[in-house]
Amino acid sequence: MNRAKNAKLVLWILAGFAAAVALNRYLFGLGVTTNLNDRTPWGFWIGFDVMAGVALAAGGFVTTAVFYIMKREEFHPLVKPAVLTAFLGYVAVVVGLLFDLGLPWNIWHMIIYWNPHSPLFEVGWCVMLYTSVLLLEFSPVPLEEYSRYAKIRNFLMKYRFVLVLLGIMLSTLHQSSLGSLFLIMPERLYPLWYTHILPIEFFISAVALGLMMVAFETLVSHWLYRRDPETVLVGKLCRVAAWVLALYFVVKSFDLGITGKLGLVFNGKWQSDLFIVEIAVSTIIPAVMFAVPRLTRKPVVQWTGSFMVVAGMVLNRIDVGGLAMYDSTASYTPSWMEIAISLGVVSAACLVFLFVLERFNIWEIKPADPESMPQTAPSFDYSSRSWLGTPDAASLARHSLAFVLSFALGMGMMSGKRLHAEGVDSIRVSPATGIDTLCINGNRDDQYVEFSHEGHIAWLRTHAISLTIDGVVHTASPSGGDSCTFCHHLNLPGEKVSNCAECHTSMYSEVDFFRHGWHASAVGANLKCDDCHATGVTRNAASAKKCTACHRGYDFAPGKGAAGPELYIPSYVDAMHKLCVSCHIADLREVSSLSQTNGGILSGKDKSNLAQCASCHRTGVPPELRADMKWQVKLPHYDNVVLPNVGVTVK
Amino acid sequence: MSKAILTDVTKCIGCLKCVSACKEVHHLDADVPRVWDKNDGLSAENWTAIVFKDGRYVRKQCRHCLEPACASVCPVGALHKTSIGAVVYDSSKCLGCRYCMMACPFGIPRYEWDKAVPHVEKCILCYDRIEEGKQPACTEACPTGATIFGERKELLPLVHARIEANPGKYIDKVWGEHEVGGTSVLYLSDIDLGFLTYPTVKGDKPLPQETVTAMESVPFAFVGMGGAMLGLNWIIRRRMKLGEEKAKKKDPAHE
Repeated sequence: MNRAKNAKLVLWILAGFAAAVALNRYLFGLGVTTNLNDRTPWGFWIGFDVMAGVALAAGGFVTTAVFYIMKREEFHPLVKPAVLTAFLGYVAVVVGLLFDLGLPWNIWHMIIYWNPHSPLFEVGWCVMLYTSVLLLEFSPVPLEEYSRYAKIRNFLMKYRFVLVLLGIMLSTLHQSSLGSLFLIMPERLYPLWYTHILPIEFFISAVALGLMMVAFETLVSHWLYRRDPETVLVGKLCRVAAWVLALYFVVKSFDLGITGKLGLVFNGKWQSDLFIVEIAVSTIIPAVMFAVPRLTRKPVVQWTGSFMVVAGMVLNRIDVGGLAMYDSTASYTPSWMEIAISLGVVSAACLVFLFVLERFNIWEIKPADPESMPQTAPSFDYSSRSWLGTPDAASLARHSLAFVLSFALGMGMMSGKRLHAEGVDSIRVSPATGIDTLCINGNRDDQYVEFSHEGHIAWLRTHAISLTIDGVVHTASPSGGDSCTFCHHLNLPGEKVSNCAECHTSMYSEVDFFRHGWHASAVGANLKCDDCHATGVTRNAASAKKCTACHRGYDFAPGKGAAGPELYIPSYVDAMHKLCVSCHIADLREVSSLSQTNGGILSGKDKSNLAQCASCHRTGVPPELRADMKWQVKLPHYDNVVLPNVGVTVK
Repeated sequence: MSKAILTDVTKCIGCLKCVSACKEVHHLDADVPRVWDKNDGLSAENWTAIVFKDGRYVRKQCRHCLEPACASVCPVGALHKTSIGAVVYDSSKCLGCRYCMMACPFGIPRYEWDKAVPHVEKCILCYDRIEEGKQPACTEACPTGATIFGERKELLPLVHARIEANPGKYIDKVWGEHEVGGTSVLYLSDIDLGFLTYPTVKGDKPLPQETVTAMESVPFAFVGMGGAMLGLNWIIRRRMKLGEEKAKKKDPAHE
């Protein structure tokens, strides 16, 4: 009985891991959890959790159709597990959707705000209704245990046929409508998958997948509990599936032929290869295997065949859901967190399935809980003879431990850096270049600010000015000789004028300038709390010593940077803007008249008269400055975009 | 009274005043490159952007389609086209399915991927300003008249007149007049603006019509499948009954 026990242990580990990721997703949003982006807003969760999930749960309506409508009584043993799988499948779809939706608490809005034009609206309603129908279809099984609910149970049993019929009708709709979702985006979906009969293809493939999912689930659960597999019944399912798969293949090839897309299948692009793999695994190979009746009775064929259909059709749904994009530059691979959540949802559904299987009359002979078998769960520890509790408790303890440990592991794997970065690439800034005239461009390829260093020095030597930016006072006076420290407010030891990029190292994110952790750690500065913080008062930045108390070599001009240890210093962009704009604020507000020369297109010089970003930021570094530049990494963003509008915040 | 914006690409000088004005009016935050950006300048904080292409500055923004795909697919109707022509977003209805982003043929809507409570962000044609009798912030800010605001049906003749008055200066095409059923943001250009759309969007058929057939057949599929199942069930039961009667006749001792 170890199989079921070990399987549950694995499922609990996966669920715990997913729980940690789920926490991350709800606290910090989709950006840090997923690799979804503005190019590919749908990804693995839609493809796997929703589209494949709904299709995997098709076994419910297919089996009930075979049993209740077509009166094939021999399939009776498969009906209850199939309906249970379908119900749990739909619940898993909804739970999975709660992770994918940006505002999951608004999911109920579909009930009150209607847009009948939207295929998604229809899918949403069908899923809601069908999940309820499945609940009603299945509830007689648990209700059987409680005699006081006998009336409800009898009522449900009486109208079971109606429920089944309704379930089949609803399934037809939304299994196909999941395909209709993509009809509106011919520009996105690769032509091999995009077709006007996508809804029909989705329905046929859902029937095939439903049959094979029932087969696979039967094989796995019987293997787990060491039951005799229902080889005869599964064999029959496989033979039916062969016909459905053949129909699917014919419809698909016919459609590709009519629309003239057959050539695309063999043109060697990665999408073509993906298509060939998908259709071979999901359809051709299993259909050929199942075509020989003698083979369908062999367990090996049943296992491999049903698994191939399940895996292949799931791949199909993932392909349509976002993988097989037309735009090959849209790079999206699911993050490990996305996969962890999906696995966790599936694991939780499997755990509920196994629980219901053991607790209620799903099979004619209930499988015993493996934990209650005395030979697998000793009540006494062999060596110490200490009481380990009842077998149930031991099982709970083991599973809780697995859950908690994997939860902790998941939490540990969250990268703190990513949480803070909020999707901003850490871009290292390169210092400005030039001598008299500086070319400040960070590392923005070909976009720069021309800064007259000499001019600024000359101005500061003849003017008195005082400016407070973020609590740091910048002053210069004609006689004070502090024209350098006006801008260079903090310098490295031994330097008079350290360049800005020395401390403001990151283009867009704040920099932890002080690094408290390093100062306190044994491998860092190895300081005790009392070394910096005064005793008896709250230990915070205000009660700490000034940096200069230890770092005597630093050139702190009076009143500059000495206000207290700055924990975080602004990004390069912010620092530059604050310093430049604070003085030039008047210039920026002034709009010069435009010279309508050059056919309405202004030359570079005229452009600088405009009072906006382009006043300072220019495109096209002049050759004399270019020669001096050390190009660093080219920004991965903004191909061809002119001067991204950096927000100017002035205090 | 459908309003529209006309952008004459040849007149744009790339000063970005439209971008700044948009940011100011809509209180959009500072824009930094994010890992989830689409590299075309638009973002949740940038509803319009200038793209440098073939020596020309091209302003990118929501096209406010006459038959918007985004509004047609939204399951809760959070997006809709108003009578003044703007396609607007109601964040209180949105559930965050991002179907609008998938369906847009111009790839315009952006998402606040960094937020725990994210919304869709895109140009709303300053519909609130238009209702106040003002024009959109971007067209108001434009110093060269490259992007102007007006009635769609008054702007279209103006555009064609401009093409005729300057033979050879423009490509004889108004982008947005017919594409995907027409848009409320029109472009006049001397370079090909095909790059603003997904390259695979072809023809002037409004995209929402792609799903019409499928959605119209929904009730028929529902009833049809129900009828088919009932019919099948009736046939099978009758056959079983006949089979039983036959067996009874053959072997009356069976009872």
